[in-house]
Amino acid sequence: MAIDGSKIVHAVMEGSRIRESKGIIPLFGVYLSIASVQYYNTLSFEFENKLRGERAAEAEALLVKAAQECGYATFQGIRNSWEWGEIVKPMIETKEDQIEGFTAVSVAFGWGDLVVKELIPHEKLVIRVTDSYEARGHLEHYGMTESGKCYMLRGVAGAFMDLLYGDDYPDGCFDYSAQEPFCRAKGDPYCEFVARKSSD
Amino acid sequence: MTAFNWQSELARDGSRVFVAGLPVAMHCHHYNINLQKTLEDTLGDEGIQLLFHSAEEANRIGFTSFFNEYRQLKTNKSKLEMAAVIYQNSGFGIIHLQGVNRQGGTILSPSSHHVTGWLAKHGLRDTPGCHFTRGWIAGVLEAVFDKPAGHYTIEETHCKMMRDKECVFQVTGV
Repeated sequence: MAIDGSKIVHAVMEGSRIRESKGIIPLFGVYLSIASVQYYNTLSFEFENKLRGERAAEAEALLVKAAQECGYATFQGIRNSWEWGEIVKPMIETKEDQIEGFTAVSVAFGWGDLVVKELIPHEKLVIRVTDSYEARGHLEHYGMTESGKCYMLRGVAGAFMDLLYGDDYPDGCFDYSAQEPFCRAKGDPYCEFVARKSSD
Repeated sequence: MTAFNWQSELARDGSRVFVAGLPVAMHCHHYNINLQKTLEDTLGDEGIQLLFHSAEEANRIGFTSFFNEYRQLKTNKSKLEMAAVIYQNSGFGIIHLQGVNRQGGTILSPSSHHVTGWLAKHGLRDTPGCHFTRGWIAGVLEAVFDKPAGHYTIEETHCKMMRDKECVFQVTGV
């Protein structure tokens, strides 16, 4: 059975309307919040601006690292959650199907229209996004640039491979890493993330 | 009080998610706290300022737009009540805005996404850590009272990340 992303999107949309009495949204094994994309984009791009020059590469690396650690813990929680077991697991036939489940959750969270273009087990993952909130935000508020700007999605792509083919949780984070060779923020028609085994 | 229909206001257009027409994203405590720690560890006070100003600016613009849309919210009291409802429905926790007016005041928060997330990931802190909430408060008050960015100073005098009973914010207008 193929993964039906619409069922996952529906579950997230319905679940994220449920609040417990303390104003926390517990869903898919994590505490969710709903915030303006402008907040996240300002944080990332102004952080990068503050470290521009000699520390520019450090800013990029730190933002990707923060996202990859998050993606690793988040999707580990998600795939062990009650909701995953009820909604997604019945649709999973192969280990690789998990990636489709992860991308459907990402779409549901409003991160972009993620599509898996290629998956070679243990080797390579290619995810394409034509409307990432990071690239859109950069274009709207900072204009065109010369390098990829979707640091969150780049980290998350690496985390997906870590969870499938890295060492057992929690030792596999950063076993894989992703690059963003194409990004709408630099004029490409879409953003693309390529995750491969990290070089030591 | 004017009802906020969360069922209809949280909506999708393709892969994009909106609350009352404003683009939003869902993120969990892992990401929110990782970003906070990265900024604090890398930039120190400058990182804390960036967390504050990012939340302030996004909220000032967002709530200004929201109040223009929800014209039935006529009084400042009703706008503050609505803001607290949205804070809770966005999963940020509970916030009591009754103790604040145009000049300033005291705001209490007995429950918070960032507190829960920080304690789960890093344990207790020695310093207050609700920088997002401080910025959120500043942006809301600027939108409610039609003030420019930077008008309000928000100091967190008690914080649950430091084992205080609740988070307490002192608001001072310029």
